[in-house]
Amino acid sequence: MAYCVQCGVKLADGAAACPLCNTPVLLPPTVVERKGEPLFAKKLDGPRSSGITKVRKGILELTLSLAVVALIAVGLSLTLSGLGRYSFIPIFSIVMVEATLVASLLAKPSYVRLSSIVLIGAGIYLVGLDLADLTLSWSLIASSALPLLWLFAVAPATKMKKWRIVTLSLIAVLLYLLIINITIAGALTWFVPVALPTMLLFAVLATIFALFLIKRKGTIIPISDVVLATLVVIFVAISGFDLFLTHYQRGFFALRWSKSLLWAALVALLFLLALSCSRRIRRYFTSHIRHS
Amino acid sequence: MRRAIKSQAPEGFIALDNSALIYPPTEAAYNTNTFRISVDLNREVQVEILREAAHELLERCPYAKVRLKKGFFWYYLSPNEEEIPIWEEGSYPAGRFEFKRNQHYLIKIIAGERRIAIECFHALTDGTGALSYLKLLLERYCSLAGIVDAVFTDGLCFTSKSDAHEFSDPFQMLYDRTIRPFPSVSRAYHRKGRGERSEAVKVIRAEVGIKEIKERAKARSLTIGEYLSAVFLMSLQQLQGEQVPVKRKRRPIRLSVPMNLRKVFATETMRNFTLFALIGIDPALGWYTFDEIATQVRLQMAQAAQPKLLLSQIRRNVAGERSAALRFAPTLLKNPLFKLLSDALGDQQYSGVISNLGYVSLPDALSPVVEAMDFHLSPGLVNPVSVAVVGYRDSLAINFTSYHDDDTVLERLFCTFLVEDGIAVSVASNREGM
Repeated sequence: MAYCVQCGVKLADGAAACPLCNTPVLLPPTVVERKGEPLFAKKLDGPRSSGITKVRKGILELTLSLAVVALIAVGLSLTLSGLGRYSFIPIFSIVMVEATLVASLLAKPSYVRLSSIVLIGAGIYLVGLDLADLTLSWSLIASSALPLLWLFAVAPATKMKKWRIVTLSLIAVLLYLLIINITIAGALTWFVPVALPTMLLFAVLATIFALFLIKRKGTIIPISDVVLATLVVIFVAISGFDLFLTHYQRGFFALRWSKSLLWAALVALLFLLALSCSRRIRRYFTSHIRHS
Repeated sequence: MRRAIKSQAPEGFIALDNSALIYPPTEAAYNTNTFRISVDLNREVQVEILREAAHELLERCPYAKVRLKKGFFWYYLSPNEEEIPIWEEGSYPAGRFEFKRNQHYLIKIIAGERRIAIECFHALTDGTGALSYLKLLLERYCSLAGIVDAVFTDGLCFTSKSDAHEFSDPFQMLYDRTIRPFPSVSRAYHRKGRGERSEAVKVIRAEVGIKEIKERAKARSLTIGEYLSAVFLMSLQQLQGEQVPVKRKRRPIRLSVPMNLRKVFATETMRNFTLFALIGIDPALGWYTFDEIATQVRLQMAQAAQPKLLLSQIRRNVAGERSAALRFAPTLLKNPLFKLLSDALGDQQYSGVISNLGYVSLPDALSPVVEAMDFHLSPGLVNPVSVAVVGYRDSLAINFTSYHDDDTVLERLFCTFLVEDGIAVSVASNREGM
């Protein structure tokens, strides 16, 4: 039988550590302690942990009961007023809202899980609304924006690698533009001559600048460099868009409205290069750090 | 062979008593609303004999031979004809009740190697009621096993029939609408604790000598229960002091202390007949020494036990049940509202629960057979550490039940205070690796 040196309490026979402060029991080698009986049967069959907490269960039950009441009220009122054929959209809306709420309440609460559930629910809801007249049209554009939103807003919070998120985002943007083109025009029109080269230009520039900033000397990438590089990439990509659009519309390559953007990109690029190459220029712009 | 024992059987519908109404709708993960009372024998438990004893117990006590049913307006109890199963002891007490696997009974009979335990869903009865059932079960077990024929002088008598008192709900009889209802209470301090939580109820059992603790309590003019409440308040005050350094931002620290009303209102009911005394201190006013806390506890306990105030509390509780809005609302709507409001009206008003079952004495013939006694209370989500106390022979078992996986700071402060006050404490736990 041992005593805890921290708490001063007597410990049960065979205890490996004090249950109050976790201080290990260290007995002299000559002392042989008899094995104590466990407090309860040592089955270690933990209780079921599938249950949800009281408040979540309360919200779940409340929303379920309100949904049942709402379904009955809507169904009856539309049927009795002879508008039963219009009942699909309100009933489908109630069911979808309820299903999304139930799934959110049953899931383990985390930003990634909850936002994913809401986005999936919204996607199904949009397609369902569109299918009310048994045709599929606008919902393709609306619902295909949701995976894009997931990649931009949710994926960074997951354990996915950043380069994979960026690559997937670029592919998703391309696919989204493709869907818009096909849905609106019924065939591939502006996607190949305008959207595809613009996106490729954007991807190539972004990769070059990313590699430039990563491979540059010094471990820290200043936020000013990131802002400048982003401006250059966006301005040049927009100019490229102007170039490809002019070719698509008029049949020749020319810049119509984006010349000023290209000049601005050039100035930003020169400034970024000057900051990167000359320590003196960098110090001039970051002198407040020294003074403070 | 099963013996049929004739006794007064309940009707098909038994309304829940006033304080039981809240338990079925609020039952959920981390709110199991259960407790366990157990006895450790000096010999191995024979499961088949225990099964027979359990059968006889339920035949004698028709109020316990019930199942919980969900009605359109309220939950209710209904006679249960199934055979009660005997559970093998697990590693964690006072967990979530598996009604279906327990043949829908609200009491669960557990057999350990040398232990007999009753786990009870609070909608059926309170600690005193469950203790009476356990005593009767023990009496029947010992008699059937040929160990000893002992007769309890208090509680349920096996040879007599169950009478109407056992089924009565004294809350309804004591309700007086002319009394001013009990005032509402502000939100108290709650300690969230560090680290992960899991549904397994972790126990730290602290055992102290009754003589020693009685002496220390008497030195401050307190009873043992009051002394332990004061130690609990002191520990919580220390924790809040570290957690909230700004004095005026500190919340009141209160404890919920169940009071058995059977003696106060002279009734022998087997239902819940307990009210909760809310005793505490307000650390926003400054640091309380232990002696100041002791004075507060003594005064507040005496005040809370006044019959007039108890009646006022009963008036508030029963008036809620009788209000038209609650009576005619279907269970479908009432259940979620109970779940959402129960914390604000209950658990959030106090920072911890300490339940003292008192000193349990057994007949002389039975006393050598029973080596130890324990009482465990299920903790909650708002207050994840509960304390249950029971005295037997010359020792007092203080059981801390907790949902925290690793955080034992509260238990440590409590036990080290006892040690510093000159009381020898022995601890054991069901935590892994201990």
